[in-house]
Amino acid sequence: MTAIRHHFELAENLSVTKFLKKLGKHLDFEIASQQYSIKTFYDSFDWRLYNADMMCEFRQSKASRELALIDKNTGKQLAVEPLQGDMPRFSGQFPQGLFKQGIASALEMRALLPLSQLPYQHYRINILNKDRKTVLRLQIEEHKLLTTHISLHELKGYAKAAEKVSTLLQNKLNIKATKPSRILHKSLKRQGRKTQDYSSKLAIQLSPDMPADQACKLIYCQLLTAIQVNEASTIADIDSEFLHDFRVAIRRTRAGLSQIKNTLPARDLAKHTRFFAWLGQITGTTRDLDVYLLSYQDYQAALPKSLQADLAPLYAFLKQKQVLAQQALVAKLEQPEYRKQLKAWEHFLQQDCPKKATASHAKLSIKTLADQRIWKVYTRLLHEANAIQASSPAEALHDLRKTCKKLRYLMEFFQSLYPAQEFKAGLKALKGFQAVLGDFQDYEIQEISLKQFSEEMRASDTHTNTFLAMGVLVQHLDALRCAARNDFAAQFKNFKEPHKRKIFQHLFAPKAVEKNA
Amino acid sequence: MKIIASYNIKGGVGKTSTAVNLAYIAAQNNMRTLVWDLDPQGASSYYFRIKPKVKGGSKKLIAGAHELDDLIKATDFENLDLLPADFSFRNLDLVLDARKNPTQRLKKLLAPLSKEYDVIILDCPPNISLLSEAIFAASDILLSPIIPTTLSLRTLEQLKKYLKDNQLKHLQLIPFFSMADKRKKMHQEIMQNLSKEHPEILKSVIPYASDIERMGWERKPLGAYSHKGRSIEAYQSLWQEIFQPSNN
Ligand SMILES: Nc1ncnc2c1ncn2[C@@H]1O[C@H](COP(=O)(O)OP(=O)(O)OP(=O)(O)O)[C@@H](O)[C@H]1O
Ligand SMILES: [Mg+2]
Repeated sequence: MTAIRHHFELAENLSVTKFLKKLGKHLDFEIASQQYSIKTFYDSFDWRLYNADMMCEFRQSKASRELALIDKNTGKQLAVEPLQGDMPRFSGQFPQGLFKQGIASALEMRALLPLSQLPYQHYRINILNKDRKTVLRLQIEEHKLLTTHISLHELKGYAKAAEKVSTLLQNKLNIKATKPSRILHKSLKRQGRKTQDYSSKLAIQLSPDMPADQACKLIYCQLLTAIQVNEASTIADIDSEFLHDFRVAIRRTRAGLSQIKNTLPARDLAKHTRFFAWLGQITGTTRDLDVYLLSYQDYQAALPKSLQADLAPLYAFLKQKQVLAQQALVAKLEQPEYRKQLKAWEHFLQQDCPKKATASHAKLSIKTLADQRIWKVYTRLLHEANAIQASSPAEALHDLRKTCKKLRYLMEFFQSLYPAQEFKAGLKALKGFQAVLGDFQDYEIQEISLKQFSEEMRASDTHTNTFLAMGVLVQHLDALRCAARNDFAAQFKNFKEPHKRKIFQHLFAPKAVEKNA
Repeated sequence: MKIIASYNIKGGVGKTSTAVNLAYIAAQNNMRTLVWDLDPQGASSYYFRIKPKVKGGSKKLIAGAHELDDLIKATDFENLDLLPADFSFRNLDLVLDARKNPTQRLKKLLAPLSKEYDVIILDCPPNISLLSEAIFAASDILLSPIIPTTLSLRTLEQLKKYLKDNQLKHLQLIPFFSMADKRKKMHQEIMQNLSKEHPEILKSVIPYASDIERMGWERKPLGAYSHKGRSIEAYQSLWQEIFQPSNN
């Protein structure tokens, strides 16, 4: 028996008319509609729908405008809905329905962006039984730029008809089965692109015996690319993740500069280090406000029902502040000075490393250096964490959080040098521990900021109920902060469990240490 | 999910035409709609060109041997599915009677479909029987077509009394005039009188019309072959009155 397939590709020399003629010899069908259409594929910049096994198409023709959400692997249409007006950008802006439900959790705060657009002739064909009842639908897309695509759409209760037609196409008509995502892939290819060509995750490929200076440049180059690809949409404020990723790349670069010393000439690095510090600083305010705006729904949900509506002025206040901060940020990123400095950094990275280097670690193998650095920061982390008591000040935990971050960045830079599975386990343990420290500090900062915002809002005539709501919110955040603080000891105990320590030892420790352990 | 029974004690009053045409309009309004053809004659299955056949017949169906979902067939129209009839449905009463809690049976069988559909329309056979009791228990609305004749007054009152006696308070009885002939003076007079006595009768009236009669020939819901005219407007207004009562 032939396996059932639902997607087919017509050979170049087989026109739709010819295909239908052949088909008509075997079964009864009617052309329900035929129209010139334009389809636009959409996804977020970081392919969230595709990563969640979905494809989003917007199809326009004279007669209709419809949105379709399609399972990337099976080709099943998860949702097909008419769309009035322009294509919304964020999941929250779509009308209630299966489409919105389907994309919301995958897309989160990201914007849907057009990927590519294709004109085609769209045939809808009904396969009929002897009562002239439709038992299967065929959609044919006759593209100008790509070969024709045929898809079978099963109807509930008529699985046999789909099987029959699938077998007919494969065995009798010799039509080639294909993947449901073929058209997306092919159309991207025409633009010199491919799916999943961006991810905010680092994937730097290093070889263990690469000289350290060269490896560092490779790392910085990838981070520079991340800065560059996120820059335009950060300025255009397409969605808040562009600035986020932009900033992450900056932070990673800064961590590299401070944590992997003596590989590149210190003299050259000084001014770049200052530049990235400045860049981190000027992007901070907008990002903070973005985070508050993104948290707004959670803020509201944390309040008793009777106060929820009273929080609205806070949103308006934050939004206004965010707009101003964004304008200020754009002004700075459009300064020639910014371009010049970034160019200088790019130029520096593009230069070959000298054969004879001045920096003391320049020609160390990157694996040796990575082991050393990660092990050192890891042991420091344990040391700092061990020193923390129930009575320790908040600063001690904040410092520890910084150390955790350094370790995290170092591990991510050098990931490719270590056995994948063990490394993943180590990173996962670290992430878990980091989370509690992150929560503790974030809640504290939010509390402080909210108090500051309410001061600022007093200047305008905000209703007292809004302040009441904000007060309740601060209380709520404070409870969360205390919970995080109380959870610290348990999380640390968890992180330093012997089997987790063994992972770090085995991965990064000098051989002598590992033996003694 | 709303369950609507298209029902009347009397036969040949337009129950099936109502079920099929309302379902079509609901589906067109983006509601996920199912028609359940409970009549062994399989008239609504016929209109959708779907074989009136159910695996295992009424016995297996009532026993719950198959999920209802596995027996459902897509119609030719988006959002509109059908649970076909089967000739064995003629003994549904007997099969129900053999069970412990016969009147709750349909309700139970329908429960899992509540996530899949927004509206389920039951096309019911005439008569008051054990099956109709089970239908009353399962439905939210009892939509009842009445032909404006003297006899129909009696059937409407019979039905009201029955619902009252059996304390079926969850069930909303919605009567409306069906197959009303404008040229017949008697129809006009009866409609006027009956509406006064029974204000719950809908304002929308389905006329006696040849394009509705043609459904049997076309084997399609009216809306699939006729896009304007008195008949289609009448069904549209009926749909609105039932689903968006505030707009009326
Ligand atoms: N409004 C109408 N105008 C003209 N003919 C109609 C109209 N409504 C229904 N008919 C015709 O009257 C006959 C009976 O209609 P229908 O099958 O809808 O009634 P029913 O109550 O379901 O009958 P049964 O009790 O047999 O199931 C059918 O032939 C149908 O085509
Ligand atoms: Mg009938």
